[in-house]
Amino acid sequence: MVRKVVTWVDDRLGASRFTRDVLAKVFPDHWSFLLGEIALYCFVILVLTGVFLSFFFEPSVAESVYRGEYEPLQGVVVSDAYRSVMDLSFEVRAGMVMRQIHHWAALVFLAAIVVHLVRIFFTGAYRRPREINWMIGLTLLTLAMFNGFTGYSLPDDLLSGTGLRIAYSIALSIPVIGTWMAFLVFGGEFPAEQIINRLFVIHIFIIPVLIAGLLTAHMALIWRQKHTQFPGGRRREENVVGERLWPTYAAKSMGLFFGVFGILALLGGLVQINPIWLYGPFKPAQVPSPAQPDWYMGWLEGALRLFPAWEITTFGYEIPNPFFPAVLLPGITFTLLYLWPFLEAFFTSDHKPHHLLDRPRDRPMRTALGTATLSFYFILFAAASNDLLAKWLRVPVENVVVAYQILAFALPLATGLGTYLIAKSLTKREAEPPGAAPETARTS
Amino acid sequence: MKTPAQTKGIAAAFGVSVLSSIGLAVVYVQGGQTQLEGLLLGLALGGISVGLVMWAKHLMSEGEVVEAREVVPLQTDEREEVAEAYEHGAEEIGRRTFLSKWLAGALGALGLAALFPIRSLGVGPEDSLFHTAWRPGTRLVKADGRPVRPSELPPNGVLTVFPENHTHDADSQTMVIRLPTGDQIPGPDEFSAEGLVAFSKICTHAGCPVGLYQTQTRQLFCPCHQSAFDVLEHAKPVSGPATRPLPQLPLGVDNEGFVIATSDYPEPVGPGFWDRGRG
Amino acid sequence: MKVFMTAIAVVVAVGAGIIVWNAYSDRPAEPWLPPAVVRSDSTDGKTLYMRDCAWCHGAEAQGTGRGPNLTERANGTAHIDYVLSTGRMPLDSPDQPMQRRTPIYTQEQIDALVQYAEQQLPITGPAVPELNTTEADLGLGNQLYQVNCAACHASTGIGGALGGGGESLPLISRKAAILAPDLFEATPKEVAEAILAGPGTMPVFGPETFTQRELDSIVDYVGRLTEPHNPGGWSMGRTGPWSEGAAAWLIGLTLMIILIMWIGTRSTE
Repeated sequence: MVRKVVTWVDDRLGASRFTRDVLAKVFPDHWSFLLGEIALYCFVILVLTGVFLSFFFEPSVAESVYRGEYEPLQGVVVSDAYRSVMDLSFEVRAGMVMRQIHHWAALVFLAAIVVHLVRIFFTGAYRRPREINWMIGLTLLTLAMFNGFTGYSLPDDLLSGTGLRIAYSIALSIPVIGTWMAFLVFGGEFPAEQIINRLFVIHIFIIPVLIAGLLTAHMALIWRQKHTQFPGGRRREENVVGERLWPTYAAKSMGLFFGVFGILALLGGLVQINPIWLYGPFKPAQVPSPAQPDWYMGWLEGALRLFPAWEITTFGYEIPNPFFPAVLLPGITFTLLYLWPFLEAFFTSDHKPHHLLDRPRDRPMRTALGTATLSFYFILFAAASNDLLAKWLRVPVENVVVAYQILAFALPLATGLGTYLIAKSLTKREAEPPGAAPETARTS
Repeated sequence: MKTPAQTKGIAAAFGVSVLSSIGLAVVYVQGGQTQLEGLLLGLALGGISVGLVMWAKHLMSEGEVVEAREVVPLQTDEREEVAEAYEHGAEEIGRRTFLSKWLAGALGALGLAALFPIRSLGVGPEDSLFHTAWRPGTRLVKADGRPVRPSELPPNGVLTVFPENHTHDADSQTMVIRLPTGDQIPGPDEFSAEGLVAFSKICTHAGCPVGLYQTQTRQLFCPCHQSAFDVLEHAKPVSGPATRPLPQLPLGVDNEGFVIATSDYPEPVGPGFWDRGRG
Repeated sequence: MKVFMTAIAVVVAVGAGIIVWNAYSDRPAEPWLPPAVVRSDSTDGKTLYMRDCAWCHGAEAQGTGRGPNLTERANGTAHIDYVLSTGRMPLDSPDQPMQRRTPIYTQEQIDALVQYAEQQLPITGPAVPELNTTEADLGLGNQLYQVNCAACHASTGIGGALGGGGESLPLISRKAAILAPDLFEATPKEVAEAILAGPGTMPVFGPETFTQRELDSIVDYVGRLTEPHNPGGWSMGRTGPWSEGAAAWLIGLTLMIILIMWIGTRSTE
């Protein structure tokens, strides 16, 4: 039977040699190489659950009186978008669990991408010849963030409407073109009627297609360049050591897919996420408290909260305050991230290709820069919930802001310095017993 | 490696999955229950996951495989051929300078023309950011459209109001406040009416409704980015990232005893933008 | 290593110092002797008032340097019943923040004090409201709650932090945090009383602001909102995207990382 199929296909496509190589392809099996695969499977689950949700969602802000299952909302005027998500949650069988799995998958998708990125960074896996894939990966991260935000905004509830209001104000703050940009994107002055429909098209079509395309390219490049590996054992620059795709790696990878899906299903059924029935429909004059975005937007929200009350006014024109934390900061962040492989090659004069990974301790400077940067963005992220912290600690929220402003500078310095010293002392300790120095130990 | 114990374990994992799937079907047919659905779906998927991974780890004994990797330089010879092939074609086109210029011109013009539909995406800002729906004599109404009498607000009372017939106008939302007796009324005298003062409810930072009023400090507070505005100091920002005071709406009372605005806000409301100074 | 440990220690110490300083900096500068607020069997309003309240609020409720005048603004029996039945009054010291505690008095004593205030003290504010939630409209209450209450007490009823007063040097501010409390323990009567009286820093919604039916509807909705019923599963304290993000990392991704550590090899050798 197998032979018949192979023959039939090969007669038409001549794909036997390729398929043979595919099945025999070797994958290194260090656990940290599976982080990206978690993200990949989250995307698959997002598509599967998202298709189900899209059959019920109505991307319209036309209003009607709610007469559904959720009693406390009876008689309230709501948009079709909000009502359709309420009906999906309360009246469509298995709708709630699907919606919650979708939202949890989005949060974990972004988390997995970030941890994957961190792994790539600290092991130097972006170095030549993998700079292109580093940039594709970063583009996937921005697209995933943007798609997360558009999805979070679709139910037209009070929390997400407030998020859109802030996004509109950030667009307004861009010099020269800001007002036009905000009006064209939103279809007029906030809250314009077009926006939910536009976000819907962007969320379910444009960005997913881009993500799917870039994911394919991302994996094709891994395929072409073969996976990196840690040094040690039989592993060399010129080989790949691991398990064959068929059957061992395929079985493990499928096991991971089902595992990821299973964990998300448990979360989706047992832990409540985005209870829009409590937030209520978006009304421009209402505001929720605490008002926060999903976690991956937290660093921008935190930057908005920590940035002091500065703005620039010259010759009758102004650059409003939100421009700096919410446009300039992410602009600089992503520019530096995109350029990083080239910057490092320039500063270390290391332009050689690398297929063996660094251990973080062997590159103390890079590792220190990495932890310092991560701690800076972590403080920004934490600042996005400063009001909750103020409530729990029973201290004035202004004091929490000042504490975070100080920490945003102090913590990166401390962690960077600390990381550098730990890395140095670890390699030093390894070098001490004679003959025990690993062949890869080197200083940057 | 092959032991009955591992085989049993894998079979048990798949068995849990089968039972959970059957349970899931039963729950669904019975009308569905979110927590049970999540639990059973999780177990159904998790069982397959555990079974597959155990199978791969314990029963597939292929072990470590080494595959060669091409190390750069890759395909150095072909690089020259690629460059030549491209240049050969480019020369064909480049020779016809006159025509290639026209082609570039045509493509450029088409590109420009193709940008115009972007303009269809929405109305331009025009003057809309510089004024709201408030006009001289417009009554203040609540979200349900009912007009407001001064007596409805006790000292330390607040109310969110809109211009009459414009309760959906996000830009016009306004907070009316009655300060307790003894407070210095902020702003010019003609801006307050019977002890009431009104300020734009849109934060001058990022546009969230400044919905939190604290009667002890007479401060309006924005829950999005924690800007606080001191109402006694004509709503100037006292902490947080906001840089400008909330604009004040001039109030009056009409001859039927309802509160009205005596004009629009004297300055643009809400967050800043590039040419805000133009108005 | 030493430099590193010192650096970490400095950061931790500075952070902890700021937090501890702010948490305790609103303590009174000098010791103050509270009136002996004790549980007792007395159910006589006058006895209780003179013993436990008059010391700060004055015998005629006219106020003293220690406590506010009870005859002005929205102080009425609604307010008095509210602060007594939520344990916010009597305080052990005038500097103590007013927050929900176990009531000092029995219901009978509270009723006696409210009756004494109503009959013997010159107070003018709103009286203890009568509620009739059979006429209430949940949807109306929901809308009114979202417009008037949710900004501070949160759409989910968990309360929130408000501005602390905007000191120019917030690090050395001696002000306590201003918080809007959560509503999970509030009884319907307490909710209605708080609306009418505006305790603490809360705005006042007087008898003319809401009709009786509107008041009943808000109270009904708050009761419904604070029911511990969460159709989506565990609510994680209803703190919104913050706790959802934490769960995505600490439950979701962490379980998946444990899974891949089981699937893959862990050593680099």
